[in-house]
Amino acid sequence: MEQFTEGSSLPQEATDEALVARARGGDRAAFGQLVERHYDFIFRTACKWSGKRSDAEDIAQDVCVKLASALASFDGRSAFTSWLYRVTLNAVRDMQRAGNRRGRNISRFSEVHPEDAPPEQEEAATARELWAAVRALPEKQRDAVLLVYAEEMNHAQAGEIMGCRETTVSWHIHEARKTLRGLL
Amino acid sequence: MSDDDDFKALMNARTPTPSDAARKRALDAALLAFDAEQKKTASAPQGKGWGARLRSIVPHVMRDWTMDTRIGLGLGTAAVALLLLPLGYQLYTSTAITPLPRTVEAPVTQPETVEPAKPIADQPVELKDEEADDADVTVAEPAPVVVGEAGPDAALQKQALGGAEGRTALAPMSAAQAPSGAPMDGMVATESAAPPDAMLATPTEPSGDEFTRFTESPVKVVAEEPVSTFSIDVDTASYSYVRRSLSDGYVPEPDAVRIEELINYFDYAYPAAASKEQPFRPTMQIYPTPWNPRTQLLQIGIKGYVPPASEDKASNLTFLLDTSGSMDEPDKLPLLKRAFALLVDQLSENDTVSIVVYAGSAGVVLEPTKASERAKILSALENLSAGGSTAGAEGIELAYRLAEQNKLTDGINRVILATDGDFNVGIDDPEDLETFIKAKRDEGIFLSVLGFGQGNLGDDTMQALAQNGNGMAAYIDSFKEAQKVLVEQIGGTLETIAKDVKIQVEFNPAVVSEYRLVGYETRALNREDFNNDKVDAGDIGAGHTVTAIYEITPAGSGAELVDPLRYETAQPTAPAAQADEYGFLKMRFKLPDEDTSHLIEAPIGRDLAVDSLAAASEDARWAAAVAAFGQKLKGSNYSGTISWDEIERLAQGARGADVNGWRAEFVQLIGTAAALNPDG
Repeated sequence: MEQFTEGSSLPQEATDEALVARARGGDRAAFGQLVERHYDFIFRTACKWSGKRSDAEDIAQDVCVKLASALASFDGRSAFTSWLYRVTLNAVRDMQRAGNRRGRNISRFSEVHPEDAPPEQEEAATARELWAAVRALPEKQRDAVLLVYAEEMNHAQAGEIMGCRETTVSWHIHEARKTLRGLL
Repeated sequence: MSDDDDFKALMNARTPTPSDAARKRALDAALLAFDAEQKKTASAPQGKGWGARLRSIVPHVMRDWTMDTRIGLGLGTAAVALLLLPLGYQLYTSTAITPLPRTVEAPVTQPETVEPAKPIADQPVELKDEEADDADVTVAEPAPVVVGEAGPDAALQKQALGGAEGRTALAPMSAAQAPSGAPMDGMVATESAAPPDAMLATPTEPSGDEFTRFTESPVKVVAEEPVSTFSIDVDTASYSYVRRSLSDGYVPEPDAVRIEELINYFDYAYPAAASKEQPFRPTMQIYPTPWNPRTQLLQIGIKGYVPPASEDKASNLTFLLDTSGSMDEPDKLPLLKRAFALLVDQLSENDTVSIVVYAGSAGVVLEPTKASERAKILSALENLSAGGSTAGAEGIELAYRLAEQNKLTDGINRVILATDGDFNVGIDDPEDLETFIKAKRDEGIFLSVLGFGQGNLGDDTMQALAQNGNGMAAYIDSFKEAQKVLVEQIGGTLETIAKDVKIQVEFNPAVVSEYRLVGYETRALNREDFNNDKVDAGDIGAGHTVTAIYEITPAGSGAELVDPLRYETAQPTAPAAQADEYGFLKMRFKLPDEDTSHLIEAPIGRDLAVDSLAAASEDARWAAAVAAFGQKLKGSNYSGTISWDEIERLAQGARGADVNGWRAEFVQLIGTAAALNPDG
């Protein structure tokens, strides 16, 4: 890993880990850069999971705020992005649980991808249906399916993020398939 | 699987680009939080509760903190609970536990002292304003925490309560998770100098293990509900699980603590029954409650008939072993091999063994083999290896087919399933699996389940399957436990001497005003189920002892928890003759090969009562100590003020001969529990 001279501005290509270390040491600029760098990732993930732009923005902001304190608990055992996935998925889940309590989720599935305009009208409708169905799955199943298919990870990587075994991920996907049988 | 493409459409999804305004807002908020964090760290080098501070800034952020530690567990539980709902419901309905509004118990563990949160005025106002337009989304707590007013503990409990309510609406099975989340809050407030891995927090509670959720049986008023009915439970899995958790330095989650299984783990010197036809008889005693000076305990104990050693019943055993990749841990497959080797050593010439594996490598590993060919069986066991994640289809059907081929008309036919929690045995619908096991049970092939390892244990499924298969569920956490289950209690493990054993107690309102069954929450039956032979219940093996304890409030003692009704009509007084009886005990059982039940009846007379604990039998004092331990460990509402020391003294004084050292081990466990979860 390259060494930075003290006091110099951070090079653009500073690794996440280096930024985390600096931010933990109280470096505001490093923290800002880290958040900025990953905001899109957080937002996109939140968007896929929640299916709603306004929710995704809220979730992303929550995650950013949380990072200020949560960074202290990032121990580098997993890649920063894996860790960030987990933080983001947690935020999604908590927001949805809070939402469920107030019956807000009814509208959640109404809006899928505002920007999504695939060429084939029919195809789009099917995809939209699938997205809605997947998002309505029990949380673990949904996470497993989205990590593996939407994020194109292998089961081991998904397991790392979900904090479970590879086989458990396979099981969740299997169950998801069963749950959605008939719809697919 | 042909439908591999089902989810392909999820790929390459285009997500909207985030708006610059939202991004800017998030960045500003993050930096603000960062500054607050730094200032706090600087001004409070001891790091008093960055979590508490954060909590006061954005209420829902705090939720993330408090919940995160349990994601693996909580969420997994919820999701799997949904899948296993049919199974869970079978338990719920057959046990007649209505999911009552959950009473939130005081958290058992409070490992860290939580610092009082900063007053609300401290929080950066800008942040709130930023969110104002989306207020309904971000300020999501149904019970906003009034920080600074209530103590932190109260706030945490409120959180737990809110969480519980929310999830109750979703799925009754997941509702009970809240209290186990509460202890985690302790982590929130730990020092920022070296904060725990709170976001990821895998190493805290043993997560991933699935337990049937249940609510503690409440106090019943005899005048309203004089009859209590339940099924016996000979399982001991809960005790070994609790022991393992405590030994590893964790307080087990409340749902993992089934008090009846703790009590039944130990042997009691109840007089055994004389004949096979009358396989057990009740032993009762009434003595003062150690944790409540004004109530009494009614202990009902039975010991199963032990066939004479000369009568060597032939057995046909099929081992159905899990060899999935997750079994590849020292306390799983290797322990399993040694455990089953022990079992093989117990078998005699006329017994046969077959081995079927599932998951990973699938298929018949050993065709039915006479137990006298020990070397062949042992080498088959030894050659097992864990690996792969392919579901070994038909595992269970294969096992039963082998058992059937070799079925003994006058012997023991049993499939023994050993797993760490993967039940992908070939039938993947839990309901179908249950039906399958039930049907086979009715044909005379029983099922026992041995659980191994931690982290993935499907305790709830284990229980449900074993109950449907007329067998026991044991949790093998060590070689020693394997010895207990497969050597010392081999008779009980293999040979059922009575099935569908139900207990019904009718209390006499003239003598007893209130009662509460300690434990057996997952085994409660409806009153009418008692006489219905179609209703399945627990089974008892040769030499098993089963103990049930009621905490009863003597009429007129003034210790009643429920106020009398204002408009209640005067109770007809019981005839004088019956004033001598606390109540009346009825038990029903079926002999292993019969379908009609037999009835045992006995009055619970005053002569069974003793005035002091010291006068109670050793077994009674021991059972009371174990009950007190279990209640305290799970944070029961009825655990009274008894201290760990008092429990330890009580247990110490009731150890008796303790040939196997189990009781001595329990006494040590009390010390561990006390250290992990101190009094006060």
